[in-house]
Amino acid sequence: MRHILIVEDSPTMRSLVISALEELGEPVRISEAASGFEALRALPRDQYDLIVTDINMPDINGLELVSFVKGNAAYRSIPLLIISTEGSERDRLRGLELGADAYLVKPFEPESLRRTARELLAKIREE
Amino acid sequence: MAVRRKRSPARSKAAREFVSEVDELLERMRVDLADLGDQRARGALVPEIVNRLFRSAHTLKGVAGMFGFEGIGALSHRLEDILDDLRMGRLDPGAPAIDLLDEAVAVLAVEVDLVGRDEATPEGSAELIQLQERIEAALRQDPAAPAAPEPLPFDEDLLRALTEYEEHRLRESLRSGRALYVVDAGFDLLAFEEGLAELSASSRALGEIISTLPAPGDAPESQIRFSLIVASELDAETFDRRLDVPGASVRTAHAAGAGAGQPEPVAETDGARAETVASVAAPAAPVREERPADPGEWAPAGETDPSDEPHARPADDLESLKSISETVRVDIRKLDELMNLVGELVIQRGAIGAIAEQLLGEPRVARLARELAKAHKALDRKLQELQAGVLEVRMVPMRQVFEKLSRVVRRLRREAGKDVRLEIHGGDTELDKLIVEELADPLMHLVRNAFDHALEPPGERVAAGKPVEGTIRLEAYQRGNHVVIEVSDDGRGIDLDVVRERAVARGLIAPDALLTPKQALDLILLPGFSTREAITETSGRGVGMDVVRENVTALGGLVHVESRHGHGTTISLTLPITLAIIQALVVGVGDQRFAIPLTAVLETLLVDPVAILRSEGRELLNLRGEPLPLRRLHAEFGLPAPAAGARQAVVVVGLGDVRAGLLVDRLEGQQDAVLKPIQGPVRTVHGVAGATELGDRGTVLVVDVAALIEGAGRRREAA
Repeated sequence: MRHILIVEDSPTMRSLVISALEELGEPVRISEAASGFEALRALPRDQYDLIVTDINMPDINGLELVSFVKGNAAYRSIPLLIISTEGSERDRLRGLELGADAYLVKPFEPESLRRTARELLAKIREE
Repeated sequence: MAVRRKRSPARSKAAREFVSEVDELLERMRVDLADLGDQRARGALVPEIVNRLFRSAHTLKGVAGMFGFEGIGALSHRLEDILDDLRMGRLDPGAPAIDLLDEAVAVLAVEVDLVGRDEATPEGSAELIQLQERIEAALRQDPAAPAAPEPLPFDEDLLRALTEYEEHRLRESLRSGRALYVVDAGFDLLAFEEGLAELSASSRALGEIISTLPAPGDAPESQIRFSLIVASELDAETFDRRLDVPGASVRTAHAAGAGAGQPEPVAETDGARAETVASVAAPAAPVREERPADPGEWAPAGETDPSDEPHARPADDLESLKSISETVRVDIRKLDELMNLVGELVIQRGAIGAIAEQLLGEPRVARLARELAKAHKALDRKLQELQAGVLEVRMVPMRQVFEKLSRVVRRLRREAGKDVRLEIHGGDTELDKLIVEELADPLMHLVRNAFDHALEPPGERVAAGKPVEGTIRLEAYQRGNHVVIEVSDDGRGIDLDVVRERAVARGLIAPDALLTPKQALDLILLPGFSTREAITETSGRGVGMDVVRENVTALGGLVHVESRHGHGTTISLTLPITLAIIQALVVGVGDQRFAIPLTAVLETLLVDPVAILRSEGRELLNLRGEPLPLRRLHAEFGLPAPAAGARQAVVVVGLGDVRAGLLVDRLEGQQDAVLKPIQGPVRTVHGVAGATELGDRGTVLVVDVAALIEGAGRRREAA
């Protein structure tokens, strides 16, 4: 079963993302992290097939997380999707430069999230 | 222009969650706003509180948007605007717009209460809409000053993961003369938070923690390392002594007291170098034009024009002589050939890598295979160095163009008798020679615009409380794989109302179009927007901006406009460092592959064919309420269409203000690509910028995003 890690400090946004991904069309296991620190702790504990992260977070921000994930041999291959609100173009671009695989701008339709997630999961499957 | 979402906010579990989270956010904002009020009264804002307020407004905007509460979203957006300007130092802490924050939180609380009782409308109450307008008016009345970024004397690796805000705090710290320290420490992975909290508390006692970066890199499995960037007024020795956390090490990234605007160069970083402000000769001073025609061949004599300096240093001459003997002139075409050869080697290396990988699966030759893989890795490293080396040879400092511009300003000043100072920063920033050459014209255009139109006559400046002498500032700095070049002035700024009127009159937008200030500003980049008559006196800027944009996008770059009416304008050009190597998204169309420069890719989506709308013979996609024009790559390149009903991938590309969706069959991943000029018949095909080779995947064409977006076939012919 695919395992997705969601990193997002807003509980509402987190549950929206989760409920969107629960209808992915294939069974998935979803883990939540409410902060960048939680994500750092979650990473070595398990295997993930996709990381979905916000940028604006209180402890370490999403870019720092991307830089960490994509800078580590153990995690580098996990596809990473940034979700962020409009108006943070520069930070989003920076995210891609750091190696994020895709990004979505909030607000998004649940279906856009599912499509992007499927796309990223398919990519890892091919490899 | 936004199409209202047809999602009715249901009384679901999610809606209840929404109300309770927003209640919590508003409560936190109330507490933080009370603190902010005290801080304003004392005249010293605490950046952490302002940033937390910003984050709350930002989250609020995000969740409201997801639930389709556009009114709440729009008002939180206004709050976010104010707080963003405030935290980024663009808005004065005394600005009246800040007084409206408390009221806005109160109005939002009432609105959220309505949501809880399922009595809210998506657009929000009349009171909410009215408040939004008042905030907009307040922001217009008290425009934030554009921030002028300076190069950061900091390790590029550390800078890469900073958000815009963190970078701003870094600049602020430099400006206020504080020292910057990097505190490194490793912790047990499973219990790092405790140790990190201790380290953070100790650091916070000594200064401001600007960023907490988990250090990438392959640390031992049970460990995680963090780097804290801390700004402090303490000197290095005192800081180190007082930090007193076992296992933590402190590096000085920037020493204290370097003074505003003139940070000292830092020995241990090779990042952006700090520079002093250079001003062109005062009007009364004799103007000497004795510099060599191409300063690039000469040793760097510093940013300051020698004719400005009463005591020209004799050492300059010696250095110039020395550098002549060490410099070789090379025809750029020879470098292109070298670059192509390197590109081909990279591809050969890829083929060897593939063979090595296959052999690893053969038990009989396992030992040899491992050695081949090792040799392949070593080859890879050396090739990367070679590639970097060849690229470096093509690089020339921006100073070459800046000096030409400073001569132009001197001439203009003589002719017009206008009091204008030119500041130049970052002349050492290097770019591919071809790009630098292509930039000369657009930059000249921008500087002339600033000189002729943006800077007010002396009387007007004095009346506006500005110094008589106007300032034009040129700055170049590196950002990741890009170089940003900014042309800013402290002139009259752009009047958005005039821009709007003009755009409506020219039929570029509908009279009732809802535009954010940024969208409105971007209108000046549209072809057909500017005419001399429209712009000169009224909005201060804009002559031929579409031409500037066209030139810059042809180089794979972006144009960004920032302006505050009455305060000045900054135009930034973001350019790739080189045209020779690009990062590309590889897509598949039929049995063909194309590469799309990643710098132009905004996002990727998958769409059902039924989601594609047709209007006036053009295809569109509704992307979060905004129409996105689509282009089918099959059609553009005469390839067979995919089976009807098949799902297609859309690559949303954007350059400056324009966006388009490119319909393709598959997304195949990212890759570095060596761009090669095309010879032969393909050369003239519309929509193709060049070709590249992708190892075992053969040659692919690189899509010319600018040409496809504009669709008009205005493909730039290479010089």
